[in-house]
Amino acid sequence: MLRFVVRRLIFAIPTLLAVMTVVFVLVRIVPGDPAQTILGDQASAEALQNMRERLGVDRPILEQYVEFMGGALVGDWGESMVTGKPVLAEIARVLPYTIELTVVSLIIGGLIGIPLGAWSALHRNEWIDYVTRVGSLLGLSFPAFVSAILMLIVFSIQLRWLPVISGGDRATFGEWAESLALPALNLGLIMAAYITRVTRSSMLGSLGEDYIRTARAKGVPERVVIWRHGMRNALIPVVTVVGLYLGILIGNSVLTEIVFNRPGLGKLIVGALGQRDYTLLQGLMIIYTFVIVIVNLLTDLTYGLIDPRVKYQ
Amino acid sequence: MKHRMITASLMLAGGLAVFAGTTNIASAGPDTNILNVGIAAPDAGRLDPHLSATTIDKAVFGWMFNGLVRLKPGTASPESVEPDLAESWETSADGLDWTFHLRKGVQCHHGYGELTSADIVYSLNRAADPNRSSFAGDFAAFDKVEAVDPYTVNIVLKNPIPSLLGVLSNYHGGNIVCMKAAEEMGEDFQKRPIGTGPFMYGEYKPQQSLMLVANPDYFRGKPQLDGISYQYVPSDSARDLAFQSGELDMLYGKQDQTWVERTKQIEGAVVHVMEPAEMSVMSLNITSKPLDDIRVRQAIAMAVDREQFMDFKGRDVTRIAKSVVPQGYLGSADMSALMPKHDISGAKALLAEAGYPDGVTLKVIHTALPGMLGTMEVFQAQLAEAGIMLDMEVVEHATFHAQIRKDLSQIVHYSAARFPVADTYLTQFFHSASTVGTPTGITNFSHCAVADKEIEEARVEQDMEKQKQLWKTAQEKIMNEVCGVPIYENLQIWATKTNLDLGYELIGSLSLGPPVTENTHFIK
Repeated sequence: MLRFVVRRLIFAIPTLLAVMTVVFVLVRIVPGDPAQTILGDQASAEALQNMRERLGVDRPILEQYVEFMGGALVGDWGESMVTGKPVLAEIARVLPYTIELTVVSLIIGGLIGIPLGAWSALHRNEWIDYVTRVGSLLGLSFPAFVSAILMLIVFSIQLRWLPVISGGDRATFGEWAESLALPALNLGLIMAAYITRVTRSSMLGSLGEDYIRTARAKGVPERVVIWRHGMRNALIPVVTVVGLYLGILIGNSVLTEIVFNRPGLGKLIVGALGQRDYTLLQGLMIIYTFVIVIVNLLTDLTYGLIDPRVKYQ
Repeated sequence: MKHRMITASLMLAGGLAVFAGTTNIASAGPDTNILNVGIAAPDAGRLDPHLSATTIDKAVFGWMFNGLVRLKPGTASPESVEPDLAESWETSADGLDWTFHLRKGVQCHHGYGELTSADIVYSLNRAADPNRSSFAGDFAAFDKVEAVDPYTVNIVLKNPIPSLLGVLSNYHGGNIVCMKAAEEMGEDFQKRPIGTGPFMYGEYKPQQSLMLVANPDYFRGKPQLDGISYQYVPSDSARDLAFQSGELDMLYGKQDQTWVERTKQIEGAVVHVMEPAEMSVMSLNITSKPLDDIRVRQAIAMAVDREQFMDFKGRDVTRIAKSVVPQGYLGSADMSALMPKHDISGAKALLAEAGYPDGVTLKVIHTALPGMLGTMEVFQAQLAEAGIMLDMEVVEHATFHAQIRKDLSQIVHYSAARFPVADTYLTQFFHSASTVGTPTGITNFSHCAVADKEIEEARVEQDMEKQKQLWKTAQEKIMNEVCGVPIYENLQIWATKTNLDLGYELIGSLSLGPPVTENTHFIK
C-alpha cells in the first residue's frame, strides 16, 4: 500500500509540472497589466514601464518561466505583485479556512445524502422517493450563491440567529460554529443532493443482485441484508462521486466564501484575478491542482477500506 | 450500522442546536462605540498612503493621516483649503517660494514622538521618489524641500503649478508619514502605517477587516468614537444585508438608482450623494478614419441624447455633463452652449456632407463592467439611429485598460474622477503630451492637441481670474474640436445610519470615503 501511495505521488509530479506550465502561460496570455493595477490609471507610460521592469514582467517570457519553475520547486513562490506579500504565506494563512469549510460541508452532505438515498431506494416509486428525487434535483440545479443569499435573508435578517458577515474567528467553539454554520450548510446541502442521487441508484443496483436474493432466502434479517450486503456494496460509486465532486465543492466554495464573507482561497483568487497578480494566481492554481491530486489519491485508498477485494499494486 | 446512523443524525441535530443557541448575536447592534464600515473589496491593498491609489485604501488614509493643509472635512473643493499640520503659510510673489509654519505638539501615533519639520521634509521627499511612491509625478515641479527650524518648512518650486496647496493637502502624496516609523519599518510600513490623524492602526485581519483605534493624543482632541472597524465585504448583497441587519453603520454604495431607492427604504438609513464627480466622456480618436473629419464627430455629438441617459442612469446619482471638465472642479466652465441639440436628421445631414450618406461603422473596445457597459449600449443605440454603427468588442476590465492604451478603440468610453482642478483633467485627457502610445502618455485617447498652449499657460498663471479664463478657453477649443463628447457625471454614493452624526456637512470627499473626524459620534 505504501508503495502504491509513493508511486501515485510520483505520477502526480508530471501533472503538477504540466499544470504549472499551462497556468504560467495562461495568466500571461490574458491581456491586462499588473503595473497598471499598482500605479492606477493616472500613471504615465514611462512610470508603467519602470514598474514593469521592477516586477520583472518585461523580461523574455522564457527567462521568467525558468525563474518561476526553479523558484517553485525549491519552495520559493515569489511575492504577490500587487501587495508585495509572500505568496506561500498568503495562501497558507487562508487555506485552513477553505479546507475546514470543504470538510465540514462534505460531512454534512454525507450525513444527509447517504441515509436519504438509501431510504429513497428502499421505498422506490413511493411518495417519499418522489419527494427525495425532486428535492435532490432542486439541490443540484440551485446555484450556490443564490441559496447562500436566501439563507442570509432567512437566518440573519428574519430570524437574526447569525451575523451576515461570518468573519471566521476561531477563538471559541461557539465562534467557530457560528462562522461556519451557514456556509457549511449551504455547500453541504448541494453535496447532499449529489450524494443522495448516487446512493439511490447505486443502492437500487445492489438490491437487485443475486446475493441479496440469496441472503433473503437464507433468512438473514432484512436490516442486515440492507445495510451489510446492500449498502456496503453500493458505497464504491458513492465514494467515487464524492471524490469527483470534491473538486466542484472547492469551486463552489469560492462563491460561498465571497457571499458569506469568510476568509479563504476564494477571496484570494477573486482579488488576484481582478488585479492580474500573476505570482499569486500561479501559486493558487498550483495549490488547487495539488488538492485535487491528493483528493483523488484518498478516494482510491478509500476503495480498499470499503471493498477488501481491491488491491493496491 | 443503523445505530451509527442514528448517532450521526443526533450529532447533526446537536450541531444545529449549537448554531441556534447563538441567537441574537447579530442583532446586538452598535452597543460598542465602534464605527463599522463596509467596503466593496476582498482585501486591503497596500496600506501606505504614498503607494495605494485605490478607493478601498484611500478612504482609510483620510482617517489616519494629515497634510500640511486640508480640504475642509466634507468638501472636495480646493477652494476650501484650511490649515492642518501647518498653522499658516506665505508665498513669494512669483509663487515659487513657499514657507509653512507648523503646529506645535503634534504627536505621531503609537509613541513615535512629536512631528517636526524633519518629518515633513522626509515625507514629501518620499512621496516625490518614484521608487517609494505612486504619486511622484505630482511633485515634478518641486526643486527642494528644507527644514528652516523644527517648526518651519521651506519649499522651492522649479516652476509655478496650478495648485501647490492641492498637492500638499491630505490626499495622495500630501499625506504626511512619520519619519522614524517609516525609516524603522521600511517596506513593512504598509503593515503598520503611522501618521498623526484622529485614528491609528489597531489590527489587520487579512480578508476580513482593518481595525483602527482612536488616537488619544490627536491635536484637535480625542475622537468621540473608540475606533473604526473597516470591513472588506466583496459581495454586494452581503454588504447590503449586513447594513440592513445593523452590522454595518456606514456602507459603500453603488452608483445605481435602484440601489439608492432600495437603501432609502431601509429603516434608519441615510443615503449620501457626494462630490467629486466621475465623468463619463466618449473620447473620439481624431486621427483615425472617418473620425478625422470633424463633421463626423459633430454628427456623433448631435446624435447623443443626454436626457435619455439621465432616465437610464437615474437622476439621484447622475447629472448631465456640461463640459470636458467635471462640474465642481476648480476652473470648470459651463459649455452647454457648445453642445449641439439632439437632432438625428441633423446628424445624418452632417454625415452625408462628409461623404458618408449610408452611415459609418466604427471599431470600439469596451469593458464588461456592467455600470459602464450599459451606458455604452445606450450610446450605441442612439448613434445607430443616425446611421453610425459601433462594432463593439466587449472585454474584461483589465484587458480594456490595456487595449485602449494601444489605440485599438476608435471611441473610448472613460469614466474618472481626478484631483478637482481643471488642470488635471485637461492635462491627462486632452494635452498632446498625454497621448496614448507615447512615452509620456496617460489617457489622451483622442490625440487632441488644440489646447496645449492654454493648458500650459494656465499652469503657471498666478492670477486666479486669468487662470480660470485660460482654462475656459481651453475647454472651448476642445469642445469645438469635438475631441470628446461629455455625457454625464456620476457622484459618489455612501449610506450611513441615522444614529451616526458625522460632525460636519457631507458634500464631498477627495478620499472618496466620508471623513471620520474627532467629532463623529453615535447619537444615543
